[in-house]
Amino acid sequence: MRIIKIRPIVDGKVEGVAIVSPSPISFFGDIDSRSGVILDSKNPLFGETIANKVFIFPEGRGSTVGSYVIYGLAKNHVSPLALVANKAENIVIAGAILAEIPLVDQSEEDVTAIIKDGDIIQIDTEKQLLKIKEKEI
Amino acid sequence: MYLTKLQEKMLVGEKGDAIAKLMKLIVKIGEVNNAEKLIPIKSAQIAGVSYFTVGDSIFSFFDLLLKDKVKVSVPSWLNPAGMDRKKWKTMMISEKFAKKQFEIIQNYEKMGIKTTLSCTPYLIGHQPSYGEHLAWSESSAVAMANGFFGARTNREGAPSSLAAAITGLTAYYGLHKEENRKPDVLIDVEAQINHPADFSVLGYWFGEKFHGLIPFFSNIKHVTIDKTKMLASAMASVGSVAHFHIQNITPEAKTINQKAIEEHIVFTENEKRKIYELYDFAEGKIDLVTIGCPHTSLGDLKLIVSYLKNQTLKEDVEFWIFSSNKVIQSKAASSIIENLENQGIKIFADTCMVVSPGVRNNFGNIMTNSAKAAFYLSRDEKINVKLLQLEKIMERVTE
Repeated sequence: MRIIKIRPIVDGKVEGVAIVSPSPISFFGDIDSRSGVILDSKNPLFGETIANKVFIFPEGRGSTVGSYVIYGLAKNHVSPLALVANKAENIVIAGAILAEIPLVDQSEEDVTAIIKDGDIIQIDTEKQLLKIKEKEI
Repeated sequence: MYLTKLQEKMLVGEKGDAIAKLMKLIVKIGEVNNAEKLIPIKSAQIAGVSYFTVGDSIFSFFDLLLKDKVKVSVPSWLNPAGMDRKKWKTMMISEKFAKKQFEIIQNYEKMGIKTTLSCTPYLIGHQPSYGEHLAWSESSAVAMANGFFGARTNREGAPSSLAAAITGLTAYYGLHKEENRKPDVLIDVEAQINHPADFSVLGYWFGEKFHGLIPFFSNIKHVTIDKTKMLASAMASVGSVAHFHIQNITPEAKTINQKAIEEHIVFTENEKRKIYELYDFAEGKIDLVTIGCPHTSLGDLKLIVSYLKNQTLKEDVEFWIFSSNKVIQSKAASSIIENLENQGIKIFADTCMVVSPGVRNNFGNIMTNSAKAAFYLSRDEKINVKLLQLEKIMERVTE
């Protein structure tokens, strides 16, 4: 178990399985808002879904309608449990506020490097902490 | 963050639930970005119009806003929709899609937003002025507002630009502040950059290599607004680049000491060639040629006509051009458009190949001169894209 400090942006307390994108995400284009499936064929997560998982990614990028894709994920009941970015920019922040999905960023470490797919993540924004329980192999 | 008494009231819900949610969005973005206050904006450009990109989720957001009958408080206009309002059937758009699309446009209209449906407001009478604070959201228009006009806007999210349009406010951080507008990287452009597509390739290369940074381009010749929009759109879509300097073009560029820029790099012919090669596929039938990302200006349309010369379009070629309704309806464009249409070229307003399902659902092998369009279209695994200069495209499709 490893515990890191994070900056809360949209509050919440969640626990779930991590899915980690090594590359920045354009929610518009890279994610299907109806299913949560990753559409970017260059991403190693291609074909997997972020629904009901803790989605870890370096930062947002691309078209600004990405915020509505995040909102759409929530309206279609396929939203991630939480969003964890190294750096949340305003596409992701606006989307998370509208969709009311917990969002944290600014860990001192690169979250995409220290968290692996399948790790169990606990987020407590009140305590500003993120716990990583490594996947058992 | 400092808020005025009125802003406080808006935030806590004294002006209604909708205003409160919009203020929460603006304030939160401000807090995260260490803004000390909110500032008034001159105009807002709002993305999130195509039903193809926003889907049904936007309607619940409209419900929230229209329940309180909110209206915009500054001049505001819309990004492209998912179809041409008149010729949607020619674009092979379904009745269901069209119905939803009209509904979205009408909802925005109810809030007092102008239905320009273009990504190039600066080409149709909405040029921003130097130093003005804006809340624009279309990523290429944001980069143009900053880098070409010297106005000041961050890359607003689609909902945050709407929030800004209604409240008339945005958070004071990022590119609104002088100190954040300096270039990070000097690009010595050694490669030949002449055609609009070359500008777009240069932007693609920078965006991919220097995500989120501000370039200073030196040694680019024959810069026009139409070529700059190709550069800006590719940098913005590939690398989230929101501001740039071009020597002798960007109003702020003359205040920059080039030697003080930390990183210097050369853009060579080799780099240019490599980007073109990213978007190529083995010879096969081209299903569609598409031009107009960003929307074509009158000048761009004239260029296409000039490449047609005395030749005609090959019979089996489907050729779609995207522009703004304002350009298409202009008196000066009428004979040009007639000329293009006589050749069998289709010209659509209000939409583009990136945000319309009419392109993605019906064509597999696509040829374009825009690196932004190539970047987005090729993400669809059913689509192959060939990126070429317009002149070369025209050579291939005419006889």
